[in-house]
Amino acid sequence: MLKIRNMRYCTAVIMAFFPFLAVHAQNSLQGEWMVELSGEGPPIIGMLSLQESGDGWVGHIEGGPVTVETESDAIEILVDSRDLAGFVFNRRLTGDYDDASMSGSFTIEGATEDPEPGGAWTAVRKAPTVPRQPPAPVDLGGMWTPAPGIDFRKYSMDLTESAKEWHAGYVMHYDQPNVRCVSAGIVAMVAWGAYPFEIVTSKDRLTYLYEVDSEVRRVFLNEKRPPDYYPPSPMGFSNGYWDGSNLVVDTQLLEGNVRDFRGEPVSEGARMHERYSLSEDGSTLSAVIKLIDPANYNVEPTRRRQWVRNPATEIYPYECDPDSFYRQMYEQGKMDMYFERADRREMN
Amino acid sequence: MTSRLAIFATAVFLMLFQHSATGHHSFAVEFTVEETAVIEGVVAEVWFKNPHVRYYIDVTNAAGEKDRWDTRGSSPSLLVRRGWTKETISVGDTVIIKGHLGRDDKRLLSIIGIDLADGTKLGAHY
Repeated sequence: MLKIRNMRYCTAVIMAFFPFLAVHAQNSLQGEWMVELSGEGPPIIGMLSLQESGDGWVGHIEGGPVTVETESDAIEILVDSRDLAGFVFNRRLTGDYDDASMSGSFTIEGATEDPEPGGAWTAVRKAPTVPRQPPAPVDLGGMWTPAPGIDFRKYSMDLTESAKEWHAGYVMHYDQPNVRCVSAGIVAMVAWGAYPFEIVTSKDRLTYLYEVDSEVRRVFLNEKRPPDYYPPSPMGFSNGYWDGSNLVVDTQLLEGNVRDFRGEPVSEGARMHERYSLSEDGSTLSAVIKLIDPANYNVEPTRRRQWVRNPATEIYPYECDPDSFYRQMYEQGKMDMYFERADRREMN
Repeated sequence: MTSRLAIFATAVFLMLFQHSATGHHSFAVEFTVEETAVIEGVVAEVWFKNPHVRYYIDVTNAAGEKDRWDTRGSSPSLLVRRGWTKETISVGDTVIIKGHLGRDDKRLLSIIGIDLADGTKLGAHY
């Protein structure tokens, strides 16, 4: 500790006499970092990007804005997140940094159903992107059930002005598509944590069978193009390829929808990019999921998910009846209000 | 001790019912985490369908009149995996339900646990 204090004292003295060095020190944060939180549960991982601005640092984690403060070699990052029940809380990361790494501890602030005890965090520079590797397919076939952890569950995203305007009046329990049994689409579904899905492998195609909403998704591995006049839909049209043993999936022809429970819009014309990797023992499937939608997001939102192979599970039937939703509207005298909010259901 | 029990109950609740938050829409929008209530009444209607199971419960109030409560659970496909089926609770059954209260003073509960007349305990005790 004494050593660190001495180091900070020396740094302060040097900065006082050679202020141009301070700029150099600030610049050392610029770039992309992989942050890992470790507490009692599974680790939580996210990408932190930092850009210098006139009066400090502009930071994003997983595409969502974060507050970043630095003083000498100390850093504090405030990240809003939400728990499984939808409650919003903050993770406050404090620690030290140098050119190559950051580390410290984090605490939780705010109401949450499932409070984390806090813990330690580290960050290292994001590894450079490696060139695409020759295909080395692995067997992703089978039943997969969601695993906890890994995702930051970043709450706020960097919305464009028009997206902010649209989202301002969103009320989840009236406007969320799936409360009235309309599919929330693959962008939301792929990150949900409750239901299993099955991957069926066949020549030039992977077929994903999702329990929730009984949705089906085909991932074409043969560069098949969408047929003429193929309409935008909740599941879109997916092409995949193998980058080494990683499966990369690009989805287009998504219809307007919402990204998650918060109801941030997904525009028609948005794309989704997924990168799946299988653990060496074949038991865990991980994915990094990016939404590419410049009409609504200044920075691409990113989610991370993991699933465990579970041959013992089954895909159960999933039928949905919206009657209870409309009945509630009727009993609360809100049917007029519901129909007057038709624009909440248009996300083009 | 009380807080430990509360944390335990919350953890179990999340394990059993988190899908109502993660699967469909946010629990936080309609229900309060801080306020819970216990009601005793007779099942007037069973809605064992997606997106959420609902039991409509008639509760006799202090004036002797019946208030109808809307109580909500998880999705059927997640409940049936644990043996909780459409037949588990029927119209006419007397039940005691503990749940998180709906916002805006609605007669709305997000189910934490249900005690049946035969002593069976579902939900947080399940």
